[in-house]
Amino acid sequence: MFNQSSMGGFGGTATPSSANPMKDYEVVQPPEDSISSLAFSPATLPQNFLIAGSWDNNVRCWEIQQNGTSIPKSMQSCGGPVLDVAWSDDGTKVFMAGCDKQAKMWDLASNQVVQVAVHDAPIKTCHWIKAPNYSCLMTGSWDKTLKFWDTRSPNPMMSINLPERCYCADVDYPMAVVGTAGRQIIVYQLEGKPQEYKTLDSPLKYQHRCVAIFRDKKKVPTGYALGSVEGRVAIQFVNPANPKDNFTFKCHRSNGTPNGYQDIYAVNDIAFHPVHGTLATVGADGSFSFWDKDARTKLKPSELMEQPIVRCAFNNNGQIFAYAVSYDWSKGHEFYNAQKKNYIFLRPCYEELKPRTSS
Amino acid sequence: MGRKKKKQSKPWCCAQFSLTRFRYCNREFEDEKILIQHQKAKHFKCHICHKKLYTGPGLSIHCMQVHKETIDKVPNSLPNRSNVDIEIYGMEGIPSADLKEHERTKQGSRGNDSGSDDDEPAAKRPKPEGLLGNAPGVMSGMPGMMSGMMPPPGMGHGMPMGPMMQMGHMAPHFMHPGMQMMPPHMQAMMQGQGGPAKPLFPSAIPTSSPGGPSAPIVGADFKPISTGATISAPPTTNTPGGSGDGSKAATIATTGASSKIIHPSEDISLEEIKARHPRYAKSIPSKSDDGASTSSTAASEATIAVSAAQQAAVQQQKHVEAMNQHAAMMQRFPVRVTGPPISMTMGGPIMAPMRHHQMIPGPPLIGGPLMRPPPISMPPGMIGMPPGMVYGAPMFPTGPVLMQPRFR
Repeated sequence: MFNQSSMGGFGGTATPSSANPMKDYEVVQPPEDSISSLAFSPATLPQNFLIAGSWDNNVRCWEIQQNGTSIPKSMQSCGGPVLDVAWSDDGTKVFMAGCDKQAKMWDLASNQVVQVAVHDAPIKTCHWIKAPNYSCLMTGSWDKTLKFWDTRSPNPMMSINLPERCYCADVDYPMAVVGTAGRQIIVYQLEGKPQEYKTLDSPLKYQHRCVAIFRDKKKVPTGYALGSVEGRVAIQFVNPANPKDNFTFKCHRSNGTPNGYQDIYAVNDIAFHPVHGTLATVGADGSFSFWDKDARTKLKPSELMEQPIVRCAFNNNGQIFAYAVSYDWSKGHEFYNAQKKNYIFLRPCYEELKPRTSS
Repeated sequence: MGRKKKKQSKPWCCAQFSLTRFRYCNREFEDEKILIQHQKAKHFKCHICHKKLYTGPGLSIHCMQVHKETIDKVPNSLPNRSNVDIEIYGMEGIPSADLKEHERTKQGSRGNDSGSDDDEPAAKRPKPEGLLGNAPGVMSGMPGMMSGMMPPPGMGHGMPMGPMMQMGHMAPHFMHPGMQMMPPHMQAMMQGQGGPAKPLFPSAIPTSSPGGPSAPIVGADFKPISTGATISAPPTTNTPGGSGDGSKAATIATTGASSKIIHPSEDISLEEIKARHPRYAKSIPSKSDDGASTSSTAASEATIAVSAAQQAAVQQQKHVEAMNQHAAMMQRFPVRVTGPPISMTMGGPIMAPMRHHQMIPGPPLIGGPLMRPPPISMPPGMIGMPPGMVYGAPMFPTGPVLMQPRFR
């Protein structure tokens, strides 16, 4: 099984240990520019495929095998830097959206790409919605709209205005959450047709950066985790049984140097484990952490990478944790170093994400 | 020090301060000894050497004499209670006004953990508008209480900043209209931020939750949620006095001085900042506009059609469009692999230096569009890349000159 003992020089490239402090499996032939998005194929496919969008305008696809080996399968281009990628529920198609203001649908079987959505500004997020009575692609853009596209029509099925530019979103039918500039959070319910459920003020004081929906014990979406640029994550229930259920916690901050100065980094991405319901956060400090939100404890911190971790994802059965290391511009363009390679690492994570109580 | 619950007159940390969750904090303690420990650890600890002092004035004198730093707020204090000059030790020395208020809120919000959230004076709540805007005074550490202060949704915080914040003096390419900038605050926030402590998950959790249990009903809970949120979120900035711009008031609190948020000062997402950099912007706006817009409409119309022929047409169009940026892509990603991976590796190393070259010479600040590396500015058509290049399999017989050698 996907376990660590078989580590050993796969991939053939010598990766300095400083670049891979956690000694995880390295995905071969990573993107040439910063990685913007990561997604594993849904459970409908027998194998695990990983797709990654990049600022080099391309979306790459690898097959990830049980022994940790990655096999590059294919690549497609967009008209600009890619900002988000998503799978269709049946795993036959990949959606990619980005700075070219379009979203495209890549049919993996035929390797054909068609445009399925267009906005007036770059599209920051795309998610596939599979409802009993409809299915569509949801796109969130900096043009302050959220649109829903039947992939066969050039016009959106529906367009919803956002109070501000879309910065992050997540979908887990029947719930969708969008975080925008100006620290707004809007929750949508997708049953029947998408409609706004409520708009909330943010529990966070700084810019929203990432959001992920979590489920309750019955596997029903019940709330979301929202990350900000100020090293903080808010766990919010949509309808909290008790207001104390909502809380925030700090993460991705330096320990403080001798002079007592602490650096606070952005939370770049949050992902919930599909089986355990625990979560992973990744930050601009170059680390990932695993948490148990119910026990309110940190399960595991990682060592620091050489560069920020920009995105992360779990595969459908929660065995593999993928995280992408690249520069996120959090220190400004001056710190961009073309010499530094981008990495995607794969970590066997099932045990590490078990909730505290069960261990 | 476990926080205990309320009982009318348990010793309570009035400490003047408490931004965060405890209110010098309105947190309550079973006994005064623990309160004193709390005060020393939370409010009277020197942020530089971690020495624990006994009182606010003690701390400020220590910082002044030992570290030559001025402290004007008690660390971790509530905004309205951050006066360092009041000497409070345990329950002694608490200004009577605070005592009164405490009693009052106690009564009102019994049940709450600390009552604290609700008792912010009403006048203060509205204050907070800006996202980061209010950072200034706030700073002390983690403003946990902020939440209580958030404006009602209708106020749209954040948004108002737009116009005021545009900075005229920014470097030209940074000046996109519409982008909000928040420089002064940012500084404030950087300093203000931060709790010194590490993220202990559990402890970070704010204590308080305010309002009683909220009803699960949708309608009803809108309010609770936001309140709850407020409470629980002890985020960052608190707005105390509210000087809107923070230039600095913010520096204040010790905590404020001890942390920094690693993020550009402008309050827009990293992706937006990155996207407008000439290196990426070029493929987006102008060029692809023409090409892309036509092709995009065409493409989308075509999507409706199912026939193979039409599909092909779409493809064609996409290729054209894709070529627009091709130049750019080529330099850093010469090989488009669709199938086997082989070529990616080959292209990588070779091309890397090129990219490097281009980027280095023209610091973006100066160069702007003019400095773009040559290949990028080449008209799209010039490259002569057959459409197949883009999507096809790795072998392209007629590929650009550049690529041929490497391909084989």
